[in-house]
Amino acid sequence: MNCEVCHLKDLEVEHYEIREVLRCILHTIIFHRALGLVRPKEIDLELFEITYVQCGDLKVEKKIDEKIEQLIGWVEKHPNKKSQICLSFYEVKNKQASWFTNKIERLYWEHWYVNLNVVQQPKTAYARSHSSKDIVDSENALEERSIRRACLETSLREVLFQIIRFVNDKKDHVPPIPNREGAISFPYEITIPSSSDSAFGMDMIKRMLQTGHPTMLS
Amino acid sequence: MDQIVSQFLLKSLHIILDSRIPSLYPNDRGGYTTSASRAKKSDKWFNLALGDRPTALDNLNFWHRNLKDPMIIDIILVHEGPNSSSVDNLYTSTSTKAMVETVIERWAVHYECPRVTPNMNDSSAHKKIYKKLIVLLRSLYCQMRFLPAYRIFRQLNSSSQMYNFDIIYKVSSFSDPFSRTEEAAMEDYIFSPVEASSGRLCVSVTYRKTLSDFNLVPAASLFPRIITDYVGSPATEPLRSFPSSGKVVEATSFPLREARPPSSSPFQRPHSWTSGFHKGAPFAQVSPPVYHMYRSPSPPSDFYGQRGPYSRSVSQRAISCDDYQLSPPFSPSPSHSYSPSPPSHISGCNTSPHHGRSETSPMNIPHAAAAGNSRYSSPNLSDPNRQHSLPPPSPRNSRLDPSSQDSPSRIRSYRKSESQRSAELHFGVANHYTGHKLLRDGRDDSGRFSGLLSSSGSPRIGFSRSSSRLSLQDDSDDCEFSCPFDVDDVDNSASPARNNPDSRRSSEPSFATMGAKSQDAAVGVLVQMLRTAPPLRQDPSCYSSPSLNMELGAGVTTSSGFFLPRKTSDALEELRSFSEMKNLLLSKSGARLSKEED
Repeated sequence: MNCEVCHLKDLEVEHYEIREVLRCILHTIIFHRALGLVRPKEIDLELFEITYVQCGDLKVEKKIDEKIEQLIGWVEKHPNKKSQICLSFYEVKNKQASWFTNKIERLYWEHWYVNLNVVQQPKTAYARSHSSKDIVDSENALEERSIRRACLETSLREVLFQIIRFVNDKKDHVPPIPNREGAISFPYEITIPSSSDSAFGMDMIKRMLQTGHPTMLS
Repeated sequence: MDQIVSQFLLKSLHIILDSRIPSLYPNDRGGYTTSASRAKKSDKWFNLALGDRPTALDNLNFWHRNLKDPMIIDIILVHEGPNSSSVDNLYTSTSTKAMVETVIERWAVHYECPRVTPNMNDSSAHKKIYKKLIVLLRSLYCQMRFLPAYRIFRQLNSSSQMYNFDIIYKVSSFSDPFSRTEEAAMEDYIFSPVEASSGRLCVSVTYRKTLSDFNLVPAASLFPRIITDYVGSPATEPLRSFPSSGKVVEATSFPLREARPPSSSPFQRPHSWTSGFHKGAPFAQVSPPVYHMYRSPSPPSDFYGQRGPYSRSVSQRAISCDDYQLSPPFSPSPSHSYSPSPPSHISGCNTSPHHGRSETSPMNIPHAAAAGNSRYSSPNLSDPNRQHSLPPPSPRNSRLDPSSQDSPSRIRSYRKSESQRSAELHFGVANHYTGHKLLRDGRDDSGRFSGLLSSSGSPRIGFSRSSSRLSLQDDSDDCEFSCPFDVDDVDNSASPARNNPDSRRSSEPSFATMGAKSQDAAVGVLVQMLRTAPPLRQDPSCYSSPSLNMELGAGVTTSSGFFLPRKTSDALEELRSFSEMKNLLLSKSGARLSKEED
């Protein structure tokens, strides 16, 4: 089974927008992959005129929120850096013990990369503006912010459409639905690839081990 | 495989209607999401539990016999035409505003099956297809919320405000292509088809890129409408059903009303909350052919009945003001959906195909009352012989709150209608009543059945449903009879067509002659009548109910004005009828007590 990867369009967000944007995206993806019995839950975003759908599973909600907080923490430590969050779906395969690892193998069949550019808005002296120039500046800043917000909303919509398109175009790689209780049919994980410093190399090696070299597959 | 396909069609229709048609469900459906364990078996298809299916879906199997026919679902926005303005709304009768129907979305679900293959029972293949359909439905569900029409659906769904537009739908297996201008404003999205051994399932949508062109505003600023023939509140009788009104609506054309359906009967009051015994066999006859044909009338531009939880069952009524006024019960007119041009005294009654309500000035109360009639007939004919029992007044009062009907006459007529309803229920006032019904029903039936007739001749089969928000209008449209205590004398000054004061007067003595169906209801009615009898209580406090206070604010000063022209003789008559009723009730309660003691 091949592994499909989807890199979602980059989004430029402000710090306070991260949570809503990520919740929206991650829940939408998971809703499309939670193929067990769901009772869809609609959530309206506060910052945007967008309604997204959750699968209604509280554990999922909790896990997503935790990961988002992790990312926010990372972003605070690394300002003005591109951040990425990766949502991956895998199958659990009991691999025979090999000379690399005895672990249960995870066969990833889908990766979603959400790319965020967190911008720091220059602080405008709202409270301390005495001169007309300051007032004009703060007005301009507000205007810029609302323009940026509108652009972000459009981009977010595009990302959501992108998710739907991807989900619809590629269905063959989705494994058969196991007989499990609950909404979540496939195990998943949310990682922040940029969070570990020696991320790139280790990740590559890890992935190679987990998915297995083609010659090692029995 | 066929079962999968048919369930897929049902599910996709459910998803689409659920997210676009505000009044699809009579009750608030918020509760279903919390009960995780109680999903019906049918709801578990494709692992997407959506809650109870609307009744319309139960019909799908009936009309969509051939799975290979495409299922085209048009989501239609009913809105004010471009020649209307908000200023007009305030000062003139709004009958000149045309309600326009525009298709804002067209969904097509099609099982393309070019070749007939033997039904292969390959279960693994079916499982794969099923899995892919699950994913497809998930993305359909999400997509419904991402498209522009979802915002206006949410606007309509919020019960706190009334709007000057509505969303209705039409399901058919055929659709007229869009005009060039329409196409230019629309975008396509095609979901990837799911391949099956015998064909493939395709879902696609053509939707308007933006809805900002339409003037979709809350209707709060609109003038209050007067319903003089208000019958009662659907809130009190959620089980009440009405025959559907049928018309196959095309996006850009209006069907002809060619003939009166033979099964219409003078005793049918499809759009009213009238007493149960009126809804007898005639409804039963009518229901089967009509059930699948729904008219999609437009709401009056300036009256938006409350879209309550029950509105689905009562919202589909086809009544136009002209029914009330004109002696010929039906006058075919290709250019008007329900009525010919109104006579001159109905100055406001517009000639728009979708605007049967009289939009006359508040002076012309009977017209306005007729105008207040809902033009939607409920498709729900599940129980035409339902017993009618009057609810306590307060729930009905509370239903008035969100309504934009602010006039005191309306309030009075609302109460009148309640009383009247009880009168009809208990005492069977028939003659004038049925006469009016004939007018009204004729119109309604014509509206209802023309769709049936027109569609029967065409290859396409379809039905359309209105998601009217005019639940209060349902109550109003048949209240040709007002409470004996109402101030018709005042209102009649400008309404020559109010020809049933005599009938009302004659109905008063009949209170004493017939038995009430329920003691409690009779008592409730009496209380209601006493409370609303204007001559006996000259102060505005007779209308004081918590939910009506805000509407009274405007109406209080004028309400006393309505009282003035009443004569002493009228008051004496009413007093007499009160005492008769009182005697009747006392005798009955005496009879009941003795019965209970037995």
